[in-house]
Amino acid sequence: MATIEVKGLSFSYGKMDVLGDMSFGISEGKFVAIAGPNGAGKSTLLNLLAGLMRTDRGAINIDGAQIGSYATDELAKKVALVGQEFVPAFGFTVMEAVMMARTPYFGAMGFETEIDRKIVHEALELTETAEFADRELAHLSGGERQRVFIARALAQDTPILLLDEPTSFLDLRHQVGIYDLLKRMQIERNKTIVSISHDLNLASQYCDEVLLLGNACQYHTGSAGEVFTADNIEKIFGVKGFSGKIGIESFFIPLGGMAKDTGKTSEG
Amino acid sequence: MEKLLTKRKLVVRIGFALILLILVMLACSMIGTEAVSPKSVIASVGEGQVNADYEIFVRVRLPRIILAVIVGAALACSGVVFQGLLRNPLADPYILGISSGAGLGVIVAMLLGLAAPIWGQSPVTVFAFVGAIGTVMLVWFIGRLTGRRHVAGLLLAGVVVNAFFSALIMFLTSVGRSDQVFATIFWLMGNMREESVLVLWTSGGVVSAGIVGLFFLGSKLNAISFGERDAKTMGVKTGQVQFAAFSIAALITGVAVSLSGLVGFVGLIVPHAVRLVFGPDHRQLIPLSAIYAGIFMVAADTLARIIVAPAQLPVGVVTALVGGPFFLFLLVKYSRKVGW
Repeated sequence: MATIEVKGLSFSYGKMDVLGDMSFGISEGKFVAIAGPNGAGKSTLLNLLAGLMRTDRGAINIDGAQIGSYATDELAKKVALVGQEFVPAFGFTVMEAVMMARTPYFGAMGFETEIDRKIVHEALELTETAEFADRELAHLSGGERQRVFIARALAQDTPILLLDEPTSFLDLRHQVGIYDLLKRMQIERNKTIVSISHDLNLASQYCDEVLLLGNACQYHTGSAGEVFTADNIEKIFGVKGFSGKIGIESFFIPLGGMAKDTGKTSEG
Repeated sequence: MEKLLTKRKLVVRIGFALILLILVMLACSMIGTEAVSPKSVIASVGEGQVNADYEIFVRVRLPRIILAVIVGAALACSGVVFQGLLRNPLADPYILGISSGAGLGVIVAMLLGLAAPIWGQSPVTVFAFVGAIGTVMLVWFIGRLTGRRHVAGLLLAGVVVNAFFSALIMFLTSVGRSDQVFATIFWLMGNMREESVLVLWTSGGVVSAGIVGLFFLGSKLNAISFGERDAKTMGVKTGQVQFAAFSIAALITGVAVSLSGLVGFVGLIVPHAVRLVFGPDHRQLIPLSAIYAGIFMVAADTLARIIVAPAQLPVGVVTALVGGPFFLFLLVKYSRKVGW
């Protein structure tokens, strides 16, 4: 049985349909990338999977139970979300922010235990954020902050991890670093990971399956090789490019209409 | 690691603040137009017969000082809550229209010339309380109607209701008799009186219970500081927590306002001052703000009693005059810790 099961899911904002009749399953311990153009509903899908919005039609099951049947704190022990927006908040430090992930595990007084501290420390070490644990969130760079929120999601200690463009503010080293870390979490802890990515190449290197969303409620699922074909990408993104392989990794290099090399063929 | 708040640290800090509070209360109870000597108060208790010092201490000074602590604690705690929930550093206990609602209640009571006590309370107190709570309920209801962006809707509703009721107050002051208007304005400035023991027990009980309740919401308020979405994914039932925190904050503010009028500034600056010094963790911010606001109010009211003695200033004037510069000092000294 799949850890995440989506059946006949539809969602619209007012009259604008964003997701139409989607069905797919994500098995336990899989690493899935969601890709697609702006406005295709990637974040909406992630929010639905995190239980932040209600489905219009269709069902989402987490571990065999309807997502709506979980109490808020129970769901928070199953699913952690790394969002895109940062709400600036009253000078909390990195350490304090990461510790908040343990809120669903706190007792009535709302204080952490030794175990919570251990888990938070580990999350800080894994994301290389321990060195600035005492600094305020507001005083970090975008990339540092991104890693702090990933640390927070890890500290939440959930089997399912959802990430909305986790590498969007990061330099190359940290982009690769984050994907390495996520892969490690998948292999060592058997976490199920769903991550939105604009980087098709990173996604296809690291993910077991991809979900490509288009603007007109269409979608493709399968392995990166099956889904990220030059043909599909042109249909969904309206961008031509070069797709090929280096070793066992497949790559796609977009070529815009004004790019220097467009005089030549774009079909590899 | 050492920077994290632990229960032990919290207990030590609360203990220290409480000792400071008691010392300030005792010191201030000795100061006034009549100096009271602690020796003769204690002697009076020992001898079993009442002397003048004892009378002043127990019947005049102590009730007023206790009232100041209750009012300060209530205003600071609801300031903390409104700043946290609305994620707005400018929020104070009055932001959702409590001030204008209470003010409207008071001027209505004055204009009607009500004098007979209602439930053993002066009609001004009762009308202020009803006006305060009624306004918060109205603002909450309008905020709900604005739908999904609840926090922004609530803020706007508060601002609009505040402006509308203030206009009503101005209209009523312009048609009222000058003695009624003067009494209202004096009330609006915020003022301490000697309240009966029963009132102190009741309001003290309500406010303490409210603060304890808010303390237990502390870790959830921390999560909500990062926005409702984040809080929800971290397992916080944001709707319930927000409603509970708003209700408690509104209730204790209503109690404070009905007893002392509109004491400004305490609910704004004490939470910020505590945050600057100790950090933004609500589990600490709520109890420490309550105690330090108590200290601040007792000191301010003592100044209000002695500056122009034998006349008295409204305490609201003192809190603003003293609080402003003090807050600026903290802001500069601890500015490294500020970061919205």
